[in-house]
Amino acid sequence: MSESSPHLVVRGVSKRYGPTTVLDHIDLTIRRGELVTLLGPSGCGKTTLLRAIAGLAQPDTGKVELAGRDITNVPPHKRNVGVVFQSYALFPHLTVAGNVAFGLKVRGAAKREIDAAVERALSLVKLGHLGGRRISALSGGQQQRVALARAIAVEPDVLLFDEALSALDRKLREEMQVELRRLLQDVKATAIFVTHDQDEALTMSDRVAVMNKGRIEQLAEPRELYLRPASLFALNFVGLSTRISGTVLAADNGKVDVETKLGRMSALGNFQAGSPVIVAARPEQLRLGEQGEANSAAGRVRSVVFQGSRTLVEVDAGAGESLLAELSGRDGAIPRVHDEIRLSWPVTETFAFPMEAQA
Amino acid sequence: MMTRAAIIVCWVMAIALALFLIAPLLVIAAASFSPTPVFDLPLTGASTRWYGKISRLDGFWPSLLLSLQIALFSTAISLVCGTLAAIAIARGKLPGAGIFATALVSPLMMPGLVLGIALLQGFRAIGFTAPWATLLVAHLVITLPYVARTMIAGLARFDFTLIEAARTLGCTYPGGVLRVMVPALAPSFLIAGLFSFLASFDNYPVSIFLADVRTKTLPIRMLQYIEEAPDPTLAALSTLILAGTVILLVVSDRVVGLHRMAGTSD
Repeated sequence: MSESSPHLVVRGVSKRYGPTTVLDHIDLTIRRGELVTLLGPSGCGKTTLLRAIAGLAQPDTGKVELAGRDITNVPPHKRNVGVVFQSYALFPHLTVAGNVAFGLKVRGAAKREIDAAVERALSLVKLGHLGGRRISALSGGQQQRVALARAIAVEPDVLLFDEALSALDRKLREEMQVELRRLLQDVKATAIFVTHDQDEALTMSDRVAVMNKGRIEQLAEPRELYLRPASLFALNFVGLSTRISGTVLAADNGKVDVETKLGRMSALGNFQAGSPVIVAARPEQLRLGEQGEANSAAGRVRSVVFQGSRTLVEVDAGAGESLLAELSGRDGAIPRVHDEIRLSWPVTETFAFPMEAQA
Repeated sequence: MMTRAAIIVCWVMAIALALFLIAPLLVIAAASFSPTPVFDLPLTGASTRWYGKISRLDGFWPSLLLSLQIALFSTAISLVCGTLAAIAIARGKLPGAGIFATALVSPLMMPGLVLGIALLQGFRAIGFTAPWATLLVAHLVITLPYVARTMIAGLARFDFTLIEAARTLGCTYPGGVLRVMVPALAPSFLIAGLFSFLASFDNYPVSIFLADVRTKTLPIRMLQYIEEAPDPTLAALSTLILAGTVILLVVSDRVVGLHRMAGTSD
């Protein structure tokens, strides 16, 4: 199978629990070797989608295909998926090696084959020396690695991670993100991560699916997701932004003029005149002072937060609106609280979104 | 200084209590080796003849067999039913689970005599009088709470995701239960079974109401012996039962560890 052919295909999958629609006609295609994150708040359906792929939740409608095989009605033990659970779900009565060997033993593999696979999987996660340990004698980070080794050892067609890193402390989590990505690329694994942590999503994935209310709002590469959010929800969920509400005055070929309480602004987007919209820009696009072809607004600095390489400045622009700027400090002085300043940002980096109930 | 004194008081108390609890057992064991029918201290020698007399006790074998049967059957049934009920309570989102949990363990808090009388009258009222069967049902009332209590506690700490993990690794659902849930809960099963068996085996107050002339459990038979002929044969029998219990506990400790059985580890 070639690198670009579809490896995992989810087609029109829906799932309801009583009156709640958890998954609403999900379509998702993942290529072989791709690392994809399902990102969203709790209750958005991301874990249910993962469980539907693993066979632990049966979709009401739709199909799931894996490695060219329709697995919609295949029970989990015949799907050849590897799952790393949030709680790790390691077997307490078995040793580290016993846990890693479990899947192969169940499959009835020969002992020599099992031993080799266990050794390979454990050395891959750098736990080669701990095979004889009891699970309870391991740290959280080590348990996480054992869970990964156990899932990898059966050479699954797809690896599924359900909030697998969220139980680790921040520093260890960030190290694991980088290491895990490298490891998965080395073994050419296809993997899906479920997380609510945007940093994890941006670090780990080739593509990110932002989920909300049982639907995929946007499926894009991390960079595109950040620079060109497809919806207000995606904009809010990934990264920070300045958001100003207004009404469309005129629309012209993918560009709109919007009347806001802070004056007239231009933004990218397709709307009819009179539509209520939110115009938004990422904080690093906001600069001190005026610039050409730009929106601008003035106000009084409310807070200044120093974050090392950047400084976040929040400005009270009046009329209940505020601006958020990320200043590097290289192009000029960082303002201080209560300073009156003017900020501007390019029209080409300003987006208009339909006003909707805030998530 | 004060803390040191307090610790010494506690030490003395711990040692004194241990002696207080063990002393009767030691006396029984010593009496069983008494060379004379009347037990006197200091011992003037040792004899094992009372052990030889155990098997010739009137009605001993039927009573031992009955007690073992009742204890084994009630424990086995309790383990299966009690575990299923415990799963419903610990996991099944059963409405009013707390009430059911309390109901399941409530016989533990009831005096055995009350339980015995209640069961006797209840069985009579519905015309259920077969001695062996009534004894078994009554002993289920005794053993179920032990199993339910231990299994609810064990299941509360059991992560059901383990079964899902086993399924994604290639197990069917029943396979996952057998390969993962049962071994992970083995310490709970063992301690539940042990307490259940012992509670049934030495129960007197409930059994006495349901036994008849031909159907007497071992504890009832033993009390009868002590009234008829108080010689050291009974001490010998008690010592054997004691030894059996100790062996059972030691073996269990070797298998899963008493610390795990007590639920104090990880």
